[in-house]
Amino acid sequence: MVDSPSSSDRKALSGRRTGRSVRRALVVIACVASALVWGAGCVTVRPSDKEFLSDPSMTFGNEGTAGAHEQHVTSNREGSFGAGSVTGGGCGCN
Amino acid sequence: MQLTSSPRKSTLVLAFAAISLAAGARADGGVDLTTSLYHDAGGGLKMTVLTPSLTIDGTIADALTLRAGYEADIVSGASVAVVDAPGGAVDAITSATTLNDIRHTASAGFTLHSDFADLSVDYAYGTESDYQSHGFSVSAHSELFERNTTFDISYARGFDRACALNQPRAQEAVDRQRLPSSTGCFSADDRTYFKLDLSTFQGSWTQAWAPVFTTQFTLTAQILNGFQGSPYRAVWLGRSAAMENPPENRARYAAGLSARLWVKPLHGALQLSGRVYRDSWDLRSVTAEGAYEQTISGGLRLRGRVRFYDQTAAVFFSDNYVRQPRGQYFTGDRELSSMRNITYGLRLVYDLPPGEDGDVLGIFDGFRIVAKADLIRFDFRAFHYGGADVPNTDALALTLGLTSRF
Repeated sequence: MVDSPSSSDRKALSGRRTGRSVRRALVVIACVASALVWGAGCVTVRPSDKEFLSDPSMTFGNEGTAGAHEQHVTSNREGSFGAGSVTGGGCGCN
Repeated sequence: MQLTSSPRKSTLVLAFAAISLAAGARADGGVDLTTSLYHDAGGGLKMTVLTPSLTIDGTIADALTLRAGYEADIVSGASVAVVDAPGGAVDAITSATTLNDIRHTASAGFTLHSDFADLSVDYAYGTESDYQSHGFSVSAHSELFERNTTFDISYARGFDRACALNQPRAQEAVDRQRLPSSTGCFSADDRTYFKLDLSTFQGSWTQAWAPVFTTQFTLTAQILNGFQGSPYRAVWLGRSAAMENPPENRARYAAGLSARLWVKPLHGALQLSGRVYRDSWDLRSVTAEGAYEQTISGGLRLRGRVRFYDQTAAVFFSDNYVRQPRGQYFTGDRELSSMRNITYGLRLVYDLPPGEDGDVLGIFDGFRIVAKADLIRFDFRAFHYGGADVPNTDALALTLGLTSRF
């Protein structure tokens, strides 16, 4: 008769499974990212075709200081952070 | 950009010209003056934050950019000191304490340029009556594949200190009292401080896929260690109130994807973005934003946007710690409850056209005016002040910016 695993054993098993899942996800992400970057190298937009891409409304991060102020407001009013520009410290107490 | 012989322009670029002439090199520069106002009010609670900022930069021989800046946060308002204190819903809000403070931040940095890569180093020091921060960052920018692919990576390190009440006899979190005021912070014997260390990593990949379509993918990871609550805020725990006590460690992860599509028939750009976020406090969120920016005429552009944000609560959050405690941690921070908000925004950008001599207003190489207005509507569906709904759920954010290049 096989004993059922204890609570700590189940947690350890669950932890190992989670670790494997994370590693598997990282490998998949790395493969997809590599494929995309490799594919990106095949994409060629000639400089003469960049008229629209160089328009300010097509440029990421073109909000300048106004955008930084907005991020300062949202980072103090929401529990999330990131996937924008890197910001410094600040209290956020209020 | 070539330095011209215009006397007025030469006056404006005197500092950079002196450096450039010494080096026998070209120079250009810029000044940015931007001010933002944030305001929310409702019931007995309100918050007003005025943020003026000034940034000056100069580039020498297209190889080195130097920059320096100053920013202030002028804060005034009223907030709840003891969350869920007994005495009825009305008391919890009408007993709100007033606050007034000014945060000063000075920053400086430089960027080294080459044909296909930039390397930047920045430092910022922030100080206010109850908080001090040092922030360092290093970032690199690289362009590949005929500049159709761009990679950015950055690492930022922060060292912060928050003032607190010195309570050597309060060994347990439930015995610690909140900070009553900022008087004596960083100097008096009855004050101490909590540390907060921050490490932030970020990488982004920007790709031009077609003459009218480009995307940006960004990953951010942040590790925080130290006090991450408000020393002023206490939570009612049954017999007494104690200063809020969130965990000291937090790991945060975010991934964002943005796309921009040029709409040829309308001569405007469709801007879409999304973000997912998760941290070790089990707070998860999604953000979605859609915007359309229209070129009206010449240098005049108008953008309208809608942004939606939704988050789950931190694992240790409770709306009532007396009836539903969450282990050893407790917080009165409504930004850690499950909540959502929606933002409606308008932005007007005007690049002044150059005159016959090629200069803008006879002085500048470029001059931009930015006016921005956002209405933010919050929905704190799981947070109450002693049974009362959060009253200040509508906020207005206004920005006016002036940027000149010379």
